[in-house]
Amino acid sequence: MRRRDFLKLVAASGAGTVVFTGCAGTNIDFSSWGNGNPSREFQIQSAVDNPQDFAVGRDLWYATAFSGVAGGSGLIVRVYEGRAKKVDGNPDYPLNMGRSTALEQSLVQELYHPDRIGGPLRLKGARGSGSYEAISWDEAQTEFNSMITAGKGSTLLITSSVSGSTAAAAGQFIKAIGGEHVTFEPEERIVLREATRRVFGSDRLPTFDLANANFLLNFGAEFLNDWVSPVHLSIGYSAFRQGRAGTRGRYWHVGPQLSATAASADKWVPINPGTEGLVALAMAQVMTSQGLVDKAAAASVYSGITLDDYSPDKVAPKAGVTVDQITELAKTFASQKPAVAIAGTSAGAHTNGLFNLTAVYSLNYLVGAVGAKGGVVINPDSPLPDVLPNATVGTAYRDWKPITDKLKSGGTKLVLIHNANPVYGLPPAMGFQAALGAGAKVVSFSNFMDETTTQADLILPTCVVLEDWGLHVPDPGPGYQLVGLQQPVVKPFVDAKPLVDLLIGAATTAGASMPWKTNEDLVRATVAQLQQAGGGNITGTDDPKEYFVTVQGQGGWWDPSTTAKTPPTAPKTATKAAEPQFAGDSPYYLLPFPTNSLSYGEYSNLPWLQALPEPISTNVWSTWVEINPTTGKTLKVETGDVVKLITTTATVELPVYINPAAATDIMLVPFGQGHVIFSRYAEKRGSNPLSFIVPQVESETGALAWAATRVKIEKANKKVRVPRLEGSVPAYQLEEFPIIEIQNTK
Amino acid sequence: MGKRWGMTIDLDLCTGCQACVVSCQAENNIPINTEENFQQRRAIEWIRVERYWEGEFPTVKARYIPVPCMMCENAPCEPVCPVYATYHTDQGLNFQVYNRCIGTRYCSVNCHWHVRFFNFWEPKWPASLEQQLNPLVSVRSRGVMEKCSFCIQRIDHAQQSAKLQGRDMKDGEFTTACAQACPTRAIVFGDLNDANSEVAKTVATTGRGYQLLADLGTNPAVVYLKKIDSDPLPDGIKHRYFDSSQVGSIRETVAVG
Repeated sequence: MRRRDFLKLVAASGAGTVVFTGCAGTNIDFSSWGNGNPSREFQIQSAVDNPQDFAVGRDLWYATAFSGVAGGSGLIVRVYEGRAKKVDGNPDYPLNMGRSTALEQSLVQELYHPDRIGGPLRLKGARGSGSYEAISWDEAQTEFNSMITAGKGSTLLITSSVSGSTAAAAGQFIKAIGGEHVTFEPEERIVLREATRRVFGSDRLPTFDLANANFLLNFGAEFLNDWVSPVHLSIGYSAFRQGRAGTRGRYWHVGPQLSATAASADKWVPINPGTEGLVALAMAQVMTSQGLVDKAAAASVYSGITLDDYSPDKVAPKAGVTVDQITELAKTFASQKPAVAIAGTSAGAHTNGLFNLTAVYSLNYLVGAVGAKGGVVINPDSPLPDVLPNATVGTAYRDWKPITDKLKSGGTKLVLIHNANPVYGLPPAMGFQAALGAGAKVVSFSNFMDETTTQADLILPTCVVLEDWGLHVPDPGPGYQLVGLQQPVVKPFVDAKPLVDLLIGAATTAGASMPWKTNEDLVRATVAQLQQAGGGNITGTDDPKEYFVTVQGQGGWWDPSTTAKTPPTAPKTATKAAEPQFAGDSPYYLLPFPTNSLSYGEYSNLPWLQALPEPISTNVWSTWVEINPTTGKTLKVETGDVVKLITTTATVELPVYINPAAATDIMLVPFGQGHVIFSRYAEKRGSNPLSFIVPQVESETGALAWAATRVKIEKANKKVRVPRLEGSVPAYQLEEFPIIEIQNTK
Repeated sequence: MGKRWGMTIDLDLCTGCQACVVSCQAENNIPINTEENFQQRRAIEWIRVERYWEGEFPTVKARYIPVPCMMCENAPCEPVCPVYATYHTDQGLNFQVYNRCIGTRYCSVNCHWHVRFFNFWEPKWPASLEQQLNPLVSVRSRGVMEKCSFCIQRIDHAQQSAKLQGRDMKDGEFTTACAQACPTRAIVFGDLNDANSEVAKTVATTGRGYQLLADLGTNPAVVYLKKIDSDPLPDGIKHRYFDSSQVGSIRETVAVG
């Protein structure tokens, strides 16, 4: 049978998931079924519509997509008799090309988690008591509908950053119901978006052509671990290092921490927290005064700033570096082109975070790296911005205040929460939990009891990633238009419903007429619109069903010819320079950091991630404070000693981990733990840094400056054993017997 | 020449993200490592990422090295098994037969890379998480030694498919779970005896290849590519260690039981 005929057969069936088709394969190779690898075949009747115990004795792979905490990836999932076994990257999806992160690998644990909420729940006792009773979906729907009707005009929808079909549905829902949709995302991401908007004139995050760069200068961004799009940037990094015969890119990392990503750098330049912008300006001053770069370009992007006020001799003492170090940074950046500069993570989490990021990203103009090979790549708009919106932007910490106030005053009558945990993710000073209890009805779409879910009157569990439909517009994209297709690879494992189905139902109840009946309808209709609009790499068919089935088979829609149309525009005036401000007057900085496995704590409920050693300390399952060895001697503490960290907000006890790479005046504490409730794997474990930082705001965006706290240390006269991987085996690297052999190129 | 399965691991590319670790755990039904397992130093990670320090702040570097089973040609773990539960296959694999193992643990004593792991306790999963288990891989019981198998189940499947099609296995048509996940392609798997395979070509042409603890003469099938450093620390930096608790005076006692 020819492929086209087979496609027509499949398309005629209309329903169900379609198996991953792989890289433009045309042969149906039945003997390769079940070999544990993505195969090139179609299956007419997917396991999604078959009974759970559908036994073929072979596995099949389905393509889907995950928008995730950062950027997102295309995935393929191995499904065996109706059970998802293994998540891997989709080899064809342009962003991640078959590769994946530890988090994406762990998505099966979210699907089959023992603490997943099994079905709708209604609050039985007092708000926050955690006492719920199971009800049927009919009862739940009735109750939900009445809440929707009562909350018309004053509904607050809180979600994670959403794009594409979910964003479109949320938008239509809010329009129909009346109210507000706010996005909860890591605060430094908000600063990053504003920074790149100002510096490059684009609303979408850029990506970076590392594969063709010779020099990468990174101010703090955890781009290899959990910042923005780690797999995509790791692929670029791989080519940067070893992808070109005779050329190896050089990577220097500037920041206060030798983080998981910084460890991959050839050189780490430690600086005082929050001084990234100052160092960037000093670099610009050196480059312009020594004629290494175009003075006019510098004057343009840094207009409004007198660069000579930021000469190395002035900046060095503030940043904790030497004049020579700054000069070397500048000279190397200007001479090893193509060079590209990036910044993020803690660099954005300061009172001057926006200045830090804009000052660094502006450096790219000086070396001609913007919109050029080996430099900053601007991403184009979504192919259909109205029906497939770009990613929503997070609500900054400062802007949660009016939202919380409105809740407290009764101005908001109904709160709906999906994939967000603001009670955990906002510092207690915001008073969000109390505001939730002030009288509004709260509905959670969560699958897990967490700090926010337990404040709900009604819990309506929604499908997890592997059980649902969706179309995602990744942010950042790969430099051209890309839409990821998420499709259910298994039937819902518990009695959950797709979020968008619930939103559509609710809006219809409230009297609105929604363009679609279900999430699946929405996705199919949108793909049909994509086909109408033309473009994309799917050709040779006019039939919408066949088109859709092909999108399902490859995991999305993309068009490498659709690069950004509008060239990047440099800022007319630079963001005002500012020094970082800190709360507290102790000599020690408190620097929290998102970890490779747990990031900011959104997926701490997954045991594989809890058990994954933090790359630098190798610690697991806990929160700790990393202290420099010399400082440890001064404080008379060793690994395992418990200390009190005292800020003006709170005092918390944490075990010490002596880290030979920690700066002498910085106390490093990982994010991710401190959940009061969030499944057996995360509850009552460790501490949440957000609960003891002094909440300051980034001066322009209002984002939370979580790196702006100073901390006092006292011994607590207790000892614990810090659970970690190192020490599990007697592994010593001796001078005579190196374990990691190094080849120096200098 | 018969096959010899092997790997190249490029230390210049490993970013310590540990996607390989979770991918392996998902593929091979590895029990969840609880906090207690780590405290007992009995966490099971068929592939682990070790971190070594060089120096101390401010002249300090941290480096990563993924360590799976080396699949030694002259494996020190093989001759000491009293029941021949570990043996060398004709494709160069150091094979572990779970239902033969009687748990003397002599093999793990002999392994200098410490890549053998013993199931001191019966691996248990909450019932719902059992849905995720890979049906192609045995779930080991208490008293059985386990270790990286180079995803033998994938090798077998690829072999059977090739046989059905009447052809040889092609380089790159399948790979191990760790290599598949790795975002930077630091890990590459293939047949070292196939001159056209990527791993064989790399081993033949690289100037950076080395084997871990090569002096012991076991001839591992895992070839590391040296980490490249364009900005080395000044000479004379001492203190290279894995366990930073060796910095201070603390010595932790291992929990027993």
